Amino acid sequence: MNTRSASDLAIDHYLAELDSALGSLPASRRNQILDEVREHIGEGRALLDVEDESSISALLERIGEPETIAAEAGAVHEVDESRRRDAWVPWLLLLGGIPSAAFWLLGIGWILGVGFLWASVRWRLSDKLIGTLVLPGGLLPFVLLLVRPVGANSCESHGGPGVPTVTHCTSSGLMLAPAIGIPLFIVLLVAPVFTLLWLRRDPHST
Amino acid sequence: MRCMVPSNDPAWLAQLRRGSVEHCVLALLRQGERYGFDLARTLADTGGLIASEGTIYPLLARLRRNGLVETTWRESVEGPPRRYYRLTEDGALALSDFIHEWKRFQVAVNSILEQDSAA
Repeated sequence: MNTRSASDLAIDHYLAELDSALGSLPASRRNQILDEVREHIGEGRALLDVEDESSISALLERIGEPETIAAEAGAVHEVDESRRRDAWVPWLLLLGGIPSAAFWLLGIGWILGVGFLWASVRWRLSDKLIGTLVLPGGLLPFVLLLVRPVGANSCESHGGPGVPTVTHCTSSGLMLAPAIGIPLFIVLLVAPVFTLLWLRRDPHST
Repeated sequence: MRCMVPSNDPAWLAQLRRGSVEHCVLALLRQGERYGFDLARTLADTGGLIASEGTIYPLLARLRRNGLVETTWRESVEGPPRRYYRLTEDGALALSDFIHEWKRFQVAVNSILEQDSAA
């Protein structure tokens, strides 16, 4: 029996298994891993004192189960596939609610953003909660505050000499004391922007 | 401290590996460029860092996509040309961040573990 061709067969068999284990990866990425493993086999083979069935199988065993290698590659694949859609998510969450300030439509964009956010594998649960709760509607609450009817106060005083002065005040529109209104304004602006930056951080490798 | 429950493939160990092995690869490249086989053998021989030699290739591909390493082909004396990996500037930065954080992490974990064994 020709040992050299038996080795080649064992290696071909291994690479075919690896190829099929990597099946879900894009071809370019699959081929790159296959090329490098093939080179690795070549390097290892050149170092063998004796090339026979057992030394070749030991070499392939050190390289590992095709499924193990594919698993290492596959976790990343999932992230990459949805990466393009993920890029939209922070912006949808920030801006997607705003049209509902002008038109009495639901903040469809924001709702879509939340859906994509929760479907994504890029973010962890804590990120998803931040994305959803800080703040619902994104910049919508800020914009609503910006375009709200201006609050007004009107006061009437009744009274005269000897009579206690009584003042009646009525408010119309949404009144906010500057001490509340200004911080609120800032929070409604900063919180959604914070969420945008938070979600756009570099994802931790999964 | 001895672990009372033997387990073959604990999830925490896989996570610990996963979080650190990429930076170990970066650290191996600090002294200069190396080729895949060499990196794989070194990591596998160090023990426990990679599941098997072949798993380094998806890992290297990931580092390359993230711009932390780059490759060049070099002629080799004894065989076909080799694909050499080297650190990029971003890779060197990522590594020094990791070293900094790792030291803090290690100190924190040790301080808790030592507290525990003293009690």
